[in-house]
Amino acid sequence: MILAEYLKMMGFGDGGWGPAMARAALVTFATAGCGFLLGAVFGTLVAWAKLSGVALWEKAADFYTTLLRGVPELLVIYLLYFGGTALLRDRVQQLDTSGFVVTPVFLVGALAIGLVSGAYQCEVYRGAFQAIPRGQIDAAHAAGMSRALRFRRIVLPQVLIYGIPSLGNIWQLALKESALISVIGLVELLRQAAIGAGSTFKPFYFYITAAGLFLVISLVSNAAFQLAEFRTRRYFRRPD
Amino acid sequence: MTIAPSSALAMPVLRVADLKKSFGALEVLKGVSLEAHKGEVISILGASGSGKSTLLRCINLLEVPSAGRIVVGNEEIKLKQGAGGRMKPADARQVGRIRSRLGMVFQSFNLWAHLTILENVIEAPIYVQRRPRAEAVEEARALLEKVGLADKLNHYPAHLSGGQQQRAAITRALAMRPDILLFDEPTSALDPELVGEVLAVMRSLAAEGMTMLIVTHEIQFAREVSNRVIFLRDGLVEVEGTPEEVFGQIRSESFRRFLGASARGHS
Amino acid sequence: MLAFMLDTVWQLLGGVPLTLSLTAFAVANGFVIALALVLMRSSPLLIWPARLYVFLFRSVPLLVLIFLVYYGLSQFSSLRASFLWPYLREPYWCAIIALSLNTSAYSSEIIRGGFQAIPRGQIEAATATGMPRFTLLRRILLPLAIRQALPAYCSEIILLLKATSLVSIITLMEITGIAHRIIASTYRPFEVFICAGAIYLTMNFAITRIFLAVEYRLSPHLRPAPDAPAPQREASA
Repeated sequence: MILAEYLKMMGFGDGGWGPAMARAALVTFATAGCGFLLGAVFGTLVAWAKLSGVALWEKAADFYTTLLRGVPELLVIYLLYFGGTALLRDRVQQLDTSGFVVTPVFLVGALAIGLVSGAYQCEVYRGAFQAIPRGQIDAAHAAGMSRALRFRRIVLPQVLIYGIPSLGNIWQLALKESALISVIGLVELLRQAAIGAGSTFKPFYFYITAAGLFLVISLVSNAAFQLAEFRTRRYFRRPD
Repeated sequence: MTIAPSSALAMPVLRVADLKKSFGALEVLKGVSLEAHKGEVISILGASGSGKSTLLRCINLLEVPSAGRIVVGNEEIKLKQGAGGRMKPADARQVGRIRSRLGMVFQSFNLWAHLTILENVIEAPIYVQRRPRAEAVEEARALLEKVGLADKLNHYPAHLSGGQQQRAAITRALAMRPDILLFDEPTSALDPELVGEVLAVMRSLAAEGMTMLIVTHEIQFAREVSNRVIFLRDGLVEVEGTPEEVFGQIRSESFRRFLGASARGHS
Repeated sequence: MLAFMLDTVWQLLGGVPLTLSLTAFAVANGFVIALALVLMRSSPLLIWPARLYVFLFRSVPLLVLIFLVYYGLSQFSSLRASFLWPYLREPYWCAIIALSLNTSAYSSEIIRGGFQAIPRGQIEAATATGMPRFTLLRRILLPLAIRQALPAYCSEIILLLKATSLVSIITLMEITGIAHRIIASTYRPFEVFICAGAIYLTMNFAITRIFLAVEYRLSPHLRPAPDAPAPQREASA
């Protein structure tokens, strides 16, 4: 009875919400993914600043990581959304007084996730870089490698290897944060579930489905990261 | 040498019969038997991997033997087969009872980091043997004074040197008024200059008539203090006897090599 | 601008009691559940539900959980008729339920890590005295595990504090809820962000400080001895 009703509602048949939820799951994945990648860029830059040895950069970098790890993500989202809307509105008013501004919520969402994720990723990259035995960098230098080559062939691979377990956790954080973007109107999983709940008056079905889909994405991501960890572990495994 | 106890015919306080222990496919003990009488000091020697620590740890069931019998006093430890064919203790209460009659001193002292020295010593008497606190504290103070740690009562283990920690650990074992003291390489983790103070405590315990089983690398100490010496090789007793017998006429080639290697190690 | 920010801070501070009370309740509930979960892991039967619970509540986003409890449960007429309903329809209790469930999963991993970090030898020494299992847990394992887990637990509490901001979405007026209201009406997101951010950062700082003090108190073994003599120069031998 309940199960049958549920399956009919969530199915891919006529009047089923299956396709909508599946689309929303893709939006979730895309938002989190873009946010995570942005975070990788920010994280690298900030880690570089922290390791630069220049006091100004280091202080600025510290401020960034302390701020974005200490403040609720929701506040960051509000800042970017309302701030972005205000900026856009000013711009548009300068150019064209008609029409109204629709702030691109996907971009705002990805940026918000990116900023916060960057703060966490920075620490991972910094720690991983510092974990590389100094001698290997020196050896690369002595072998005549240019800085770019050294970075690409020696530093980057090892940073990734050391950092994969932590990056897996940070990815999970990004996934969960994508659910928050629903508050500014992005139609990802949670938003879609809310729409469905409002339309059918069966909130539990929709939210449990959303939860289930998040679980699935989480499981698959987990497996992927564990595989990556396993594959790169062989560089550090001692022969038994 | 410690004076041997009078009645060799009296019932042994500890009897181990044909003890076997395997870890998976690796058979560490292949059938070891020994007997200890009251007041005896028995030293157990052997190379790494000979099974000497495992033997000791089987006696108080920190490891469960795969086969064989252990009798402490007049109680035989009851074992039964558990999941996967492995043996496990049949009577948890019996295990607790027997353990509180055996004191153990570990190679790495293992004092409880969150308790002061005094608290370490009174912990088991109060919480395992349920003795009144005042009595436990008084006895602890006396014991700690005897080993020379009277001024360290309120210190934490982290504040003590290795030798002091081991002396405290011995006191902790003594506070339970054990029938037998088990020592698992008590000085192996100590800097050489601290070994002496611990051996001194062990010597005086032996002189007072405590029954002791000592796994050790200190050959000289074993010669001087033991009533009997056992040499284990590959999980079996290779040599056994009084120090005179064992060190006087060395018949076993592996024992000779072991002594030679140890002598070189010491210099 | 300064006047606006001061006024904003004043308004935001009104949300602090709610933020703190939510955090406190969730921490307390979460700790109890977490402890139970850790103990469940030592039983071959109960370990599976425990692992499942931890996996579920760490993988499902908190906001989804909040919606499930607050909106989702209202679907069931049997619940609406029960004695629980007066609580379950209140956003406050729904928030506490969701926050507690969420933090309990993370906390249990932290406490488990604390237990695993206990040096094995000290556990053996206790077992060797014949200490019964419950006494062992109470006198040796718990004290040592808690000391090991304190730094990670501090991080978790700060994360929980941030997480309380989500309850603003189900109409609870804690700090972020008030901040949202101010931003939406004044369209000065930047200043409000700075004010709200400052309040959260201050609370984080306070929590960190408290934990450092607790760690210090519980770890006399990591401090110098009570009557340690003043450090002396070694005379050259």
